[in-house]
Amino acid sequence: MKKTVDVSIPLGPVHPIFKEPCRVKCETFGERVLSAEVELGYMKKGIERIMVGRPWQEVMFLAERVCGICSVIHNFVFIETMEKISDISVPPRAGYLRVLANELDRIQSHLIANFSYCYTIEHETLGMYLLNIRERAMDLLELLTGARVTCAYIVPGGVRFDPDGEDLEKIMTEIDKLETETRRYMHIFESGPLIGLRSRGIGVITSEQVKLIHAVGPTARASGVSEDMRSGHPVYKELGFSPVVRSEGDNFARVMIRFQEVLQSIEMIRHIVKTLPSGLIRGGGTVGRGHTTYSGEAPRGELKYRIKSDTHGRIQEISIQTPSIMNIEACARYMIPGVTSIADVTSTYISSDPCIACTER
Amino acid sequence: MSLLQSLKNAVRQRSIHVCYVDTGSCNGCDIEVLACLSPRYDLEQYGIYVHNNPREADILLVIGGVTVQWQDKLRLVWDKIPEPKAAISIGNCPISGCVFSRPETLTRAPAKSYIPIAAEVPGCPPRPTEIINAILSVAPTVFRDWELKR
Repeated sequence: MKKTVDVSIPLGPVHPIFKEPCRVKCETFGERVLSAEVELGYMKKGIERIMVGRPWQEVMFLAERVCGICSVIHNFVFIETMEKISDISVPPRAGYLRVLANELDRIQSHLIANFSYCYTIEHETLGMYLLNIRERAMDLLELLTGARVTCAYIVPGGVRFDPDGEDLEKIMTEIDKLETETRRYMHIFESGPLIGLRSRGIGVITSEQVKLIHAVGPTARASGVSEDMRSGHPVYKELGFSPVVRSEGDNFARVMIRFQEVLQSIEMIRHIVKTLPSGLIRGGGTVGRGHTTYSGEAPRGELKYRIKSDTHGRIQEISIQTPSIMNIEACARYMIPGVTSIADVTSTYISSDPCIACTER
Repeated sequence: MSLLQSLKNAVRQRSIHVCYVDTGSCNGCDIEVLACLSPRYDLEQYGIYVHNNPREADILLVIGGVTVQWQDKLRLVWDKIPEPKAAISIGNCPISGCVFSRPETLTRAPAKSYIPIAAEVPGCPPRPTEIINAILSVAPTVFRDWELKR
């Protein structure tokens, strides 16, 4: 029988491109990749095991540390799940401030994802530009919440800190600068001929394949699947949110959709700051007994929490469904097989913005 | 001290290659290490290069509370680094396990029970300036007159 596989090439777990340990095993024929497999398991910390039996006050901090890049959304979804269980209502101002923190977090997460992609295709200049404007978003997050990462801003019934007029003004001026710079770098990315050669038409996944493998977030939206959990959230509905969708489904589309979502988030933040309702930021309430499922849109896709709590607000059962696991599978099954060189494997893998820490928890 | 030794001291202080290894963190410290690369903090102005390749590194940044999978592998990464070398742990996790330090956990902190750690930067996560400060203060003391100390 003719042997079709030349070499089996493993990438990782410690690799210059990967932020986190993970092994991508590729079977190649010459330079062409025939099939790929992603091997996980280096980061399993057992967070769900730790969470069981602990009061929500403690689990709140553990939930944030499921993923450090998108810590606000984990906080957001966990707290809203607890609120749904115990029927706690949120004052309108707090609801808007939550979305403000969440969108700032989304901006910085998308920018670091695009930085990683630019770094992987060896366009270090653009990568550094993006990393630099990300610091502006981090500054605003720090101004609003008091911490750069893992800020624990959202609590049941409200948020912890109230920005004053001066803070809001600063957010507006910084957001303007951020928008100008993002537009400029987006244009550089869009019009760069070499970037196009490395990105367009590589790692293509069609909308049918996306539906088959249940890819979520920007990976799905880049292939024309309009799927965004923010559409159903009451505050986002008030803001007139509609998801950004592209149709190409290649690496280029996945990076561009993140740029477009950054601009969309900037527009949303501007709208929030202009129409921020006055009033209390904490309504109060008691976390009680119940059992529910709730989902929100993390920067990488749908994030779902299923929680069962007892009368004192202790977590009895919890399961977290994070977005990256589906995207990593989509990447291994459909995007990587067929790429013409090993160099495209890493860039395709990074373009789906994998987060191993939240995948394995 | 010989001329060669003083030359080595001068060169080693200005050319520090860094490799970081994530042994089960929440990613928070990872992105703060990445933020050090940004032009605002500009790690490279101090002569520090992040290669993320153990065989070229002088300094190993250990991030995360050492999961079960990493218990034997952390030592392997450390052994691949050529002498002189030093390890710096970033964040609370390699020191104590931070929030993961519970009976049911799958992390096995501290990191210093697997490899010698020269400095620890506490914080959840520490700021990029603190990380740069730690690298800059540890590297000269470890690399200075290394041949003589040996």
